[in-house]
Amino acid sequence: MLETLGDFIAYLSIIVIGLLVWAALSPFETLGWWAGWFGEKIYVDDLPSDGLVRAVRPGARSYILFLSGIGRVSGETFSRREQGFLQRLATALPDAVVIDDIFPYSVNNLALTGQPVFARFWRWALRAKIDGPTLAGYIINIRNIMQVLISADKRYGPIYNQAMAEVLLHGLLRYNYDINSNTPVFIIGYSGAGQMAVGAVTYLRELINAPIYVISLGGIFSSDPGLLAVDHLYHLYGTEDWPRQLGLIAPGRWSFFATSEWNRARRQGLITMVNVGPMRHTSAGGYLDIKTLLPNGLSCMDHTVGVMSDIVRKHVLATVANPAEAPAQPVTLPAPGNAGEKAGGLHWSTGDVAL
Amino acid sequence: MIHLLEMPSLWQTIEQAMRLNPAIFAEIQKFQGGLGIALLIVTLAGLSEALGQSVILFINRLAPRRFMLALMITAASHVVGYLVWTVTVWLVGVYVFGQQVSIIAIACVVGLAYAPQTLAFFELTPFLGNPFSIILSLWSMVAIIMAVRVGLNLELWQAFLASALGWVLIQLWRRTIGRPIYGLGRWLRRRAAGVPFEHTLADLALLRRQPAWLKNLDAWRTRVRQRDLRKNIDNLLKREPPRA
Repeated sequence: MLETLGDFIAYLSIIVIGLLVWAALSPFETLGWWAGWFGEKIYVDDLPSDGLVRAVRPGARSYILFLSGIGRVSGETFSRREQGFLQRLATALPDAVVIDDIFPYSVNNLALTGQPVFARFWRWALRAKIDGPTLAGYIINIRNIMQVLISADKRYGPIYNQAMAEVLLHGLLRYNYDINSNTPVFIIGYSGAGQMAVGAVTYLRELINAPIYVISLGGIFSSDPGLLAVDHLYHLYGTEDWPRQLGLIAPGRWSFFATSEWNRARRQGLITMVNVGPMRHTSAGGYLDIKTLLPNGLSCMDHTVGVMSDIVRKHVLATVANPAEAPAQPVTLPAPGNAGEKAGGLHWSTGDVAL
Repeated sequence: MIHLLEMPSLWQTIEQAMRLNPAIFAEIQKFQGGLGIALLIVTLAGLSEALGQSVILFINRLAPRRFMLALMITAASHVVGYLVWTVTVWLVGVYVFGQQVSIIAIACVVGLAYAPQTLAFFELTPFLGNPFSIILSLWSMVAIIMAVRVGLNLELWQAFLASALGWVLIQLWRRTIGRPIYGLGRWLRRRAAGVPFEHTLADLALLRRQPAWLKNLDAWRTRVRQRDLRKNIDNLLKREPPRA
């Protein structure tokens, strides 16, 4: 028995040490890219449009970039929920271009499954993620978490986030975005991509003319300088979602550090917290679940789509009404009642939800 | 042979030194191969620290080969730093505290004090690297005080004083007769890098990378359009029904 326990501890420590070494090595991808070791190319997964998502719409009044959570290996989504969500969003907003073929955990949009050396390994991990064993699939999540930490790091962040801004701009240009126009750009950062979205804004700001809004969907992000560069940040959160709290690991997110970017942005009114009701982070009961119904009769997914399209529509209207200067005023949203209220007791009121 | 058998392995020595076990600091002075182990630890620590601080090399956009060379030079400069520490501690021990110790024995204990620095590589860890580097420097400081205490056979407060005195001496040395040596080190680093070291971590927020495609946006657009056109033509040709 002792021997097995000893073996177990030995294996566990090997895994932990391996993970630590891997984590320490992880920034080399970003740093090597900056040093020009891997060239300047931005890779594109040639994904055909399904008619709604990734479709160039002439005379588009807004551009929506969807950055997915840490489960992805490329610009292509394998999640039915995500596909359904994006299609509904594109249907709800007929004059918006919805772009999702972006892999936000790579400096040059290179899919893990397209990497020169490790492609085979990542393909194996992807298969494991889809068909099991699930545990092996989590290697992808761990790898992408490290990229989120890189973006949040004060040393690597300025490098990674510039790369991300270039990838986002490349994505916009692929769908005929005019960088001199005033067409607003909305970046949806789901889960860990919240950091990627917020981080990139600082630099995307310098590349395009139009206002940039970030919609964080249960987003996990640090106190990044991007919070002060964004025109407005909507932080959508469910009351049953605990992983979003991981952002609080960053000391800058604590109210104690009053001069942090997060606290300054809040004081400047750049952040709106939007309670979307009793939703979880992922899977059943999550933001993108279509089967679970909320007390208002809408499914979680439909409610999420509704809140998001409200935000987009109202900002677009404001931009059209006053094209000279895009207002950064937060829009007023219908808000579910108090965060603590359980199903049944939820009431819908119209009012400003800025906290 | 007996000495070899009694000697703990390199990893055991590093582990014990990291645990700040006074016994290992005392023992290493008696081992025949003690100095060898100490030098090995210092070299490992130097390499690890060079890697841990390599961000600056990347920021200045060194080519891969030059990067390796610059790493080696940084590691070598750490070894030079170790020699300076050894001589300083020995001087303080002999002339301030009047101890009769050989410089080799001091070289052994001071080398052992570099053991925590073998983990300096982990300073690269995103987000968690910075707090770790603070822990590591405190850890190294305690290790050097331990080395001085055991090596010179002093009380704790004396060891503290001796280490502080050593630090002051090193600062003096760097600013006076040591200057040409540091200048030589910097010159070597510049030569190895092949590019000027103009940027530090503090400049990072202001640095911008302008990729070629972004600089010539119109040319890029034309190319993309032509590619799309070709793709459409290919698709059309594919769709054409085969002629009977």
